[in-house]
Amino acid sequence: MTFAARSAAASAAAFFFLAAPARAADPQLCAACHGPNGNSQIPANPSIAQQPRQFIETALYQFREGNRKNEQMSPMAEKLSNAELRELGKFFSEQKAAPPQHKTGAEAAAAGPGLAEKYNCVQCHGPKLMGQQHIPRIAGQQYDYLRVQLHLFKAGKRADIDGNMTSAAKSASEQELDTLADYVAGLSPQ
Amino acid sequence: MKKTIAVAIAALFAGSALAQQAAGDPPWKQGMNPEQQKSTLHPFAPHMTGRDAKELPVSSLKVPAGFKVEVWADGIPEARSLALGDNGTVFVSNRNAKSIYAVVDKGGKREVKEILKGLDAPNGIVFSKGTLFVAERGRITRYDGIEGKLDSPGEPKVVVDGLDPDRQPGHFWKYLALGPDGKLYFNIGAPGNIVMPNYMQASVMRVDPDKGVLETVALGVRNSVGMTFRGKELWFTNHARDWLGDDSPNDTLHRVALGAKSVPNFGYPFCHQGDIQDPQFGKSRSCAEFSKPAQKLGAHIAPLGLRFYTGKMFPAEYQGNIFIAMHGSWNRTVKQGYNIMRVKVDQQGHASAPEPFVTGFLQDEKADPPMWGRPVDLLVLKDGSMLFSDDYNGILYRVSYSK
Ligand code: HEC
Ligand code: HEC
Repeated sequence: MTFAARSAAASAAAFFFLAAPARAADPQLCAACHGPNGNSQIPANPSIAQQPRQFIETALYQFREGNRKNEQMSPMAEKLSNAELRELGKFFSEQKAAPPQHKTGAEAAAAGPGLAEKYNCVQCHGPKLMGQQHIPRIAGQQYDYLRVQLHLFKAGKRADIDGNMTSAAKSASEQELDTLADYVAGLSPQ
Repeated sequence: MKKTIAVAIAALFAGSALAQQAAGDPPWKQGMNPEQQKSTLHPFAPHMTGRDAKELPVSSLKVPAGFKVEVWADGIPEARSLALGDNGTVFVSNRNAKSIYAVVDKGGKREVKEILKGLDAPNGIVFSKGTLFVAERGRITRYDGIEGKLDSPGEPKVVVDGLDPDRQPGHFWKYLALGPDGKLYFNIGAPGNIVMPNYMQASVMRVDPDKGVLETVALGVRNSVGMTFRGKELWFTNHARDWLGDDSPNDTLHRVALGAKSVPNFGYPFCHQGDIQDPQFGKSRSCAEFSKPAQKLGAHIAPLGLRFYTGKMFPAEYQGNIFIAMHGSWNRTVKQGYNIMRVKVDQQGHASAPEPFVTGFLQDEKADPPMWGRPVDLLVLKDGSMLFSDDYNGILYRVSYSK
């Protein structure tokens, strides 16, 4: 993330914290970091629009329980009840994903589909990589975010509800993961 | 540690057709053959926040004529094992989550409280003489006088520790049951799908809660997550290995007479369901050397909690029957289970083939997911009605009967 984007995010977040309405589960509170209706404008932050409901709920649960940790996100999840997590899951799963902000390079466009087959990405994330159940949509996700997460999984450092994703990332090389991020980030969510 | 195990497994399979496992694979993938690497079958993740019973097709559940099934309590994420307190408190455990819940009846309104937090896979619970025993991955603890202090149970006393010394992946969450001898019975499962267990694994063990000394009750048990007693007999369910096809091997029901001189071995990893040799480990062994299950229950059907019905509410023909909660198959292209089954047993211990009792969670046997709920454990209440838990949604249901 650029410095400008980072400080914009920080001040937006600060604004929202100051002006925080009583309800911690207000989806407007998420816009500062996850963009309008959950479509992130910040390269390092994930879009949460049109993610499967169970994935959003599970991710929020993981942050709240301290199983997944992030300076910005953990405090947001800390005070939410299960009912609120479900409400947020429902809301963001029903928002439409915006077109991708990333343009896939020629090499990744050629190699991507084969790698996504080879490493079974499509088996779990779905034929169009739109996610299902507790598995996230990765089509059209922020490129920087995808890259970071994939390398974290490979290093065994990203929280993982069932060990499946860590195992998938471990089978691919660092370079293949970069190619996959480049490919997946440019796919239109549909 | 993870790494050592992957290496050990790779070494075990070196030179065999099964040596395909990628390093760091989760335990459920272990034992796939090369063609199965592209399989889309996978275990199902529960809704970790629970789901609102109002949003679910509860009215599609079916029971035999005269019976009724209804939601008894929701908002208990990942509801697993059940135990009943002397004052009527229903205790509910978790597996992937970390809590124990208490459901208390307050003038007809049920209140759900999270009474213990931050535990390590606290799947096993038993209530006895005022004490709640909790089996976590690595230890069994006791909370004395629990019903008098649900709001602040305090620190537990340790009954036994060191049950999971290696902290490796595998079937190490525990079921807990109280024997007629006052001892606590529990499982230590196999560390993978089909792996050579060490001396403490793939077993049913027991511990005297006053002395903390362990004894082996049964061996060759891949993973039992349901146990109960009839007089001096232990009955338990067992999950057989995966990746040998849709119809084989069967998950099983077992009976062990307490006080027998030798410890029965039910065959894992050499022999499954009493009569199928494992294609790899069983090559040079015979099923004849192993004890047999009391009944085959269906392949991959995932039997969990079981209870003998001895309550006063259900018709006489149900007396002494076993009810078994089938969590349902994932390692099968056409799914089955996701129901409560009924098994009739005679005094000699012969068990009938299971027949469905509560059905309707399975919606489409070829869909992913195929079901909207998954039964885990059972509990007969004082009035003779029966509760069962559903960890997929975090809901308890009650089955009752009236003429
Ligand atoms: C202060 C910034 C900030 C705010 C406000 C915020 N988030 Fe986040 N959120 C993040 C960051 C950063 C991540 C990525 C964390 C990581 O890298 O692991 C994240 C991750 C997530 C994820 C996981 C996404 C994925 O693909 O893995 C979900 C779901 C989520 N946030 C939901 C919400 C919701 C709902 C709200 C509003 C209640 C919210 N967030 C508010 C910064 C924020
Ligand atoms: C066996 C199933 C499985 C396979 C195969 C798989 N994934 Fe995943 N993936 C998951 C699950 C489950 C998660 C969510 C993990 C969690 O947050 O606990 C996930 C998460 C992710 C994330 C994090 C996204 C986010 O929003 O936080 C990325 C990126 C990802 N997968 C990419 C891939 C790629 C690329 C491949 C192929 C190399 C792949 N996955 C293969 C199951 C799988």
